[in-house]
Amino acid sequence: MMPTPVYERDRCVTGIAGLDEILRGGIPYGSTVLVAGTCGSGKTTMCMEFLVNGAENGEACAHFSATEPSVKLLENVRQFDFFDMRLVDRGLINVFDMDVLFSWLGMTKSTFELSDIDAMVKAITDIVNTIGVTRLVIDSVTTLCYKIPSEQLIRDFLFKLGKALSTLGCTALLVSEITSSGAKAYWSSFGVEEAILDGIIVLGDVERMGHLLRFIQVVKMRGASHARAKYALELTPKGVMLTPMLKWGAVND
Amino acid sequence: MIELDPGVAQQLAEEATPSSAIQVRVGTSNSELIIASILQPLIQGFEMRGVYICASRSATEIIQTLERIGVDPSGIQFIDTVSSGFIGGTEVPYPNIRFVDSPIMLESIMLQTLYHLGENTDTGNFVIVDSVNALSIYNEKRMLAEYLHTFINTFRAREVLTVIVNVPDQTPPGVLANLDLYCTDLIDRGQVVIH
Repeated sequence: MMPTPVYERDRCVTGIAGLDEILRGGIPYGSTVLVAGTCGSGKTTMCMEFLVNGAENGEACAHFSATEPSVKLLENVRQFDFFDMRLVDRGLINVFDMDVLFSWLGMTKSTFELSDIDAMVKAITDIVNTIGVTRLVIDSVTTLCYKIPSEQLIRDFLFKLGKALSTLGCTALLVSEITSSGAKAYWSSFGVEEAILDGIIVLGDVERMGHLLRFIQVVKMRGASHARAKYALELTPKGVMLTPMLKWGAVND
Repeated sequence: MIELDPGVAQQLAEEATPSSAIQVRVGTSNSELIIASILQPLIQGFEMRGVYICASRSATEIIQTLERIGVDPSGIQFIDTVSSGFIGGTEVPYPNIRFVDSPIMLESIMLQTLYHLGENTDTGNFVIVDSVNALSIYNEKRMLAEYLHTFINTFRAREVLTVIVNVPDQTPPGVLANLDLYCTDLIDRGQVVIH
């Protein structure tokens, strides 16, 4: 008897050592994934490595920086061996300051209305469409959401953005800043991001006898069967490295 | 001139394969000599490079000991879990030392080891853990047993010759029993006979 063929979505291979194994092949193409993590947990480095690995294969990539100026971001990632400034020079990695984008759009208000959100989504998708971006990072979506006054509008923003990027075949990582990844598991600052988006990857720290060990855990990934265990994460000059976290040491003291 | 233990080199030549996991039992007074007796044939005979995980003593002290004995440590990357425990310990003159904050950061030790082994694809690789009894000071025995299980299997699968040093009477019995199970070979110099 012939085995029943199993349908699997095509994957965007992250190239991050260990992560593609956890995801059983990569992120389903066109997914919008929340990368939620505490400060210093490695979110920015991991997302930049995701872009670099795509750019090295000739993919056009975009990074929208909302938490720090792009110049400072590039200076910080240049210390890693995996980052090659020539990818920026060749236009394969395109870095945008959200502040500059807001100025162009005339969005100078402290809070955004629905029309501002639509303008922001249109500006991002226009860039994706014009350059042919297949990998995108927004760091951080939390910073943008602080300007959006209601949960309903945040939901609208993320839904519209995710839908537009998916239609364009762009796989996106949206960085979310969280204050705690402990027992009270909140994976986003506003509580609505996690329900709307296709996937959630959590980064954080486990405290072991006064030392912080970085971990990563894939909580959700639509269209992919994946491991849900905690993995220890180390930032090396070559980028992120992962290994299964010891079962007897995977919880806070 | 310090004489190395020729029986160790002979046993390695006869029994060791790239995927061997060798448990090395030493006494408190002969550990430096036995470790040097292992490293010399691996570096000079087998022409291997490797990673040395320092949990008993600082990497600086081990490098200086090896140099005194006549073993060249330049092809070894040292992962020092000891020196971050005291102020000034990480200010060292050797470029081939990396530091892990504490011996309880077992996963970090694993990842740093994998990283450095990945740097050398030209020759065979070894990894040496010095020592299980030092790691057992800081780590709960179930966690240490789990770690050694993962560690040994990871490196055996990658054909990295693995050397696990322990002082048997200072190692938790359960951990020792597990090492007997996981390791493929035993070099037993744990009983020092004083004439």
